[in-house]
Amino acid sequence: MRLVSLAGVVMLGMTLGSLAAVALTTTEVIGQQGRKFSAANVSVRKGQPVTFLNDDNVPHNVLSLSVGNEFDLGSQPPGTSTDVSFTVAGEVEVICAIHPRMKLIVNVTQ
Amino acid sequence: MYRGLPDQDANPAAWGHSIVRTGTAVWGWALVSFKLGRSLVWTLSAALAAIAGVGACLAGARVGETRHIVVAKTPSLGLETMKADYRGPTFIPFPKDNPFTPEKAALGKILYFDTRLSENSAQSCASCHSPGFGWGDGLSLGIGHGMEKLARRSPSIVNVAWGETFMWDGRAPTLEAQALGPIQSAGEMNMQIGQLIARLNSISGYQPLFAASFPGQGISADTVANAIATFERTIVSDHAPFDAWIAGNEKAISDEAKRGFVTFNTKGMCSSCHEGWNFTNGSFHDIGLASADVGRGQFMPQVPKMRHAFKTPGLREIARRGPYMHDGSVATLESVIEHYDSGGIERSSRSDLIKPLGLTADEKTELIAFLNTLTSRPSPTSIPMLPQ
Repeated sequence: MRLVSLAGVVMLGMTLGSLAAVALTTTEVIGQQGRKFSAANVSVRKGQPVTFLNDDNVPHNVLSLSVGNEFDLGSQPPGTSTDVSFTVAGEVEVICAIHPRMKLIVNVTQ
Repeated sequence: MYRGLPDQDANPAAWGHSIVRTGTAVWGWALVSFKLGRSLVWTLSAALAAIAGVGACLAGARVGETRHIVVAKTPSLGLETMKADYRGPTFIPFPKDNPFTPEKAALGKILYFDTRLSENSAQSCASCHSPGFGWGDGLSLGIGHGMEKLARRSPSIVNVAWGETFMWDGRAPTLEAQALGPIQSAGEMNMQIGQLIARLNSISGYQPLFAASFPGQGISADTVANAIATFERTIVSDHAPFDAWIAGNEKAISDEAKRGFVTFNTKGMCSSCHEGWNFTNGSFHDIGLASADVGRGQFMPQVPKMRHAFKTPGLREIARRGPYMHDGSVATLESVIEHYDSGGIERSSRSDLIKPLGLTADEKTELIAFLNTLTSRPSPTSIPMLPQ
């Protein structure tokens, strides 16, 4: 009986571990077609990547100056994508330096 | 309207403050090192370096490798599809916190044309943004306080109601904020806000105008800014031959201009930035001009592509808006086309969209013919009587 219980605990642990890994590796994809982010808001867990996909026909320059989650993708050509994972929980303001109308809020949870 | 040097009134600390702090910390630590014994300093330095190393690992988001992906190719656009992107709006957008009223717009117009808004009563907003020059001043560089030349060309205010950011470097987030900039700038109208409010209060004719526009609010920086911004939003480009063509009149523009429109949207890549009915998407680019002005780079120093970048101006009423570019360095539309065809100065900050185009002589002529269809027939603007 104890052996069965132990195996059950191990199985449960492995399942939860796998789910956690999946949660961290699953990406939220944000497109940029038509000089717009495909969403105005997105929520991710700390460490879970957001994929910035330039599916537009012009370069973009996605960045954030939010303290603790700063990044700058530089000039991102059409037909490329880059993952960004955030290290600090909180609200992250993401913009395109080239196109000021493009704004995105990433809510990073623990 | 605002053409002062960015360092006169901007707040660079709002962008790049961490760089300043880091520098300060380094100098502070050098001073501590000098005052403490060497061994103690080495021990503390090692500890601080370790902390800094961990901090560096933790600071900032993590950026992965860039991958090339296959994006479905946009099918070649037919002429009618291209034209659909150029239909103009049917109304002027006004912000919720500063809605349009006729009284406010009329007051804004009076303030806009009143030279008493400058310290020496010599300049009004209209001095540099005159209806006679497509709401610019027709000069390469603006003229400010004491007839001194400014660093940049006076931008036109045509269609500012659709602006996203204001000034050539985009540092003003609203038209209301922008309106007060040149009034206060020492290099331009050189008028302190307190002095401005006192002067307007001393002109009795202004009292009823403010009372009608802003009941119970009186004359203040906010009411002055809101009135001027409301008037500026009413400055909209007139119906041009291009608009008649877009609306279906095939005879409104020449075949040469129609071919120019196609080049504008395809080989010329002009519409990548000069996009839509107002011919701008408000984007910032270094277009390879020889100017040393860093433009948007002053406010985003950590973004290499923003060095020498300036806001894309609209092209409405373009034939009346020369000379061209942020520094007025290009005299004619023909020279503008030559600049873009050559690609300008090659440097790391130059936009990836700016490169030699290989336009033929015919294509250049057709582009000019097209651009000339964006200018409406001149119509007179009435100048208001100023209150005494």
